[in-house]
Amino acid sequence: MRHVVVYFNDFLTNAFPTVVEPLIFIVAVGWGLAAAVGSFGGFDYLTFIAPAQVMMSAVYTSAFEASYNTYLRLHMDHNYDAMISTPVDVDEVFWGELLFIAAKGVFYTAIMLAVLSLFHTMHSPLALLVPLVGFFTAMAFGALGFFANAVVKSISQFNFFVSGVISPLILFSGTLFPIEKLPPVIQQAAYILPLYHFVHLSRMLTTGVFNPDWPVSLAYVLIVPLAMGFFAVRAMRPKLIQ
Amino acid sequence: MPAETLIQSKNLIKKYDDFAAVDGVNFEVKAGECFGFLGPNGAGKSTLMKMIYCFSPRTSGELSVFGLDPKTHAPEIKNRLGVVAQSDNLDDEVTPAQNLEIYGRFFGLGGESLSQKVKTLLHFMTLEARADDNVRELSGGMKRRLVIARSLLNDPDLLILDEPTTGLDPQVRHLIWAKLRELKKQGVTLLLTTHYMEEAQQLCDRLLVIDHGKVLTQGKPADLIKKHLEPFVVDLPEGKARPKGLGRGIRLEKHGDRIFLYAKSPSALEKIAMASKADFQIRPTGLEDLFLKLTGRELRESD
Repeated sequence: MRHVVVYFNDFLTNAFPTVVEPLIFIVAVGWGLAAAVGSFGGFDYLTFIAPAQVMMSAVYTSAFEASYNTYLRLHMDHNYDAMISTPVDVDEVFWGELLFIAAKGVFYTAIMLAVLSLFHTMHSPLALLVPLVGFFTAMAFGALGFFANAVVKSISQFNFFVSGVISPLILFSGTLFPIEKLPPVIQQAAYILPLYHFVHLSRMLTTGVFNPDWPVSLAYVLIVPLAMGFFAVRAMRPKLIQ
Repeated sequence: MPAETLIQSKNLIKKYDDFAAVDGVNFEVKAGECFGFLGPNGAGKSTLMKMIYCFSPRTSGELSVFGLDPKTHAPEIKNRLGVVAQSDNLDDEVTPAQNLEIYGRFFGLGGESLSQKVKTLLHFMTLEARADDNVRELSGGMKRRLVIARSLLNDPDLLILDEPTTGLDPQVRHLIWAKLRELKKQGVTLLLTTHYMEEAQQLCDRLLVIDHGKVLTQGKPADLIKKHLEPFVVDLPEGKARPKGLGRGIRLEKHGDRIFLYAKSPSALEKIAMASKADFQIRPTGLEDLFLKLTGRELRESD
């Protein structure tokens, strides 16, 4: 457990300078999209997409961190090589990365939440729990980023990851419109793939309106990221040890 | 009192698919000595080192460090090791002092004692003036000194250095050698790889010469030279030395565009050398010559 503290310390010192720039990006995006119009689902559109926007910040930052940044640390700076010359072992290195990415997810979702709440999009005090969902979202997408890392042969191949995996997930997971509007096959897929449940749960928390299927989403949000993390960390092993 | 054996390997093999980077290596390193792996690039030195500092798993054979197996006791081994890898893997987003602090934390060190140690080590490697600078601004020599300082944070019993002075100026090189000798005096065992003859000769008590993953010979530098070579050599440009009429006791070898003549005494070589009318220097044979003889290649081939 001492290790957990150690990683946090290490990455915190590293990452803090870079935390401020995304803030600006997020605020700008949030503002921009808040200008969307229309109303449906019983709420106005803004309220509908707000939780999704909040989760997207976690999605983007964690996916990018776990793919591009990790790749650079791995192949250019050899930071991880130095770490495993100490009693720290490979799994601890990557769990440390993943946990830190998840922690940053909390931070970003909290910021987005604060910004979007200024637009009357939050209708329940339960919305304060959304950053916790952000933790798990970031962990899941961090894990995806690691899987991508395990597979790509060059940094440009991450483009496939972003446009082929992340973007479709975002579009088809109930972020911009309810998935009930999509053909059943895609709905089933969305139900299993990450993001839908994170957004669904967040929406329930921000609106205070709970679907009867909320335990399913809750279970998904808590369990799936940890499982993904487990396999992702395992997948990263051969990248460091040969 | 005989020194304890710190590292031991028997028939150690490391294969990448079908390629054997390390192909059946036996050796021993004793406490308190400076042991060197000498060989050209691609010989398998780094691969061998990586297995010892638990970075890379071995394919087969036995290996024990501090009496422990890297397969099962890696953290305990790493706790007593200091590692200076071939490429500087410093964190360039934090300062030198912070680099040391972070690394120290991975060993479970912390608080005031860690800060003190960081200061002491920076002083030892004469880097205190740059403690809070940007790592990116440090010269190659300073970066290497920082990596060495970092490797000493856990007071290692065994310091492993993979090509510690490659790419550095002679002055920095000599500074680092002096520091390494100091460490050895303090009782730290040193294990290093190099392809610089001077480094091996200056620092190492015993050597292991390796090429293509196999051990060519091992022992004390002076003994190895005595065992494999004549004591004196002169090298002359091709065409200047007439191979006929060499006389007994002189061995000739050709490498590239130069001819090497080996003999038991300098006088035997003088005649021929002077007759060649080329500039020459009769010198005692060294590790470079040993290497040439054993592998047919120069040590400094691919720097």
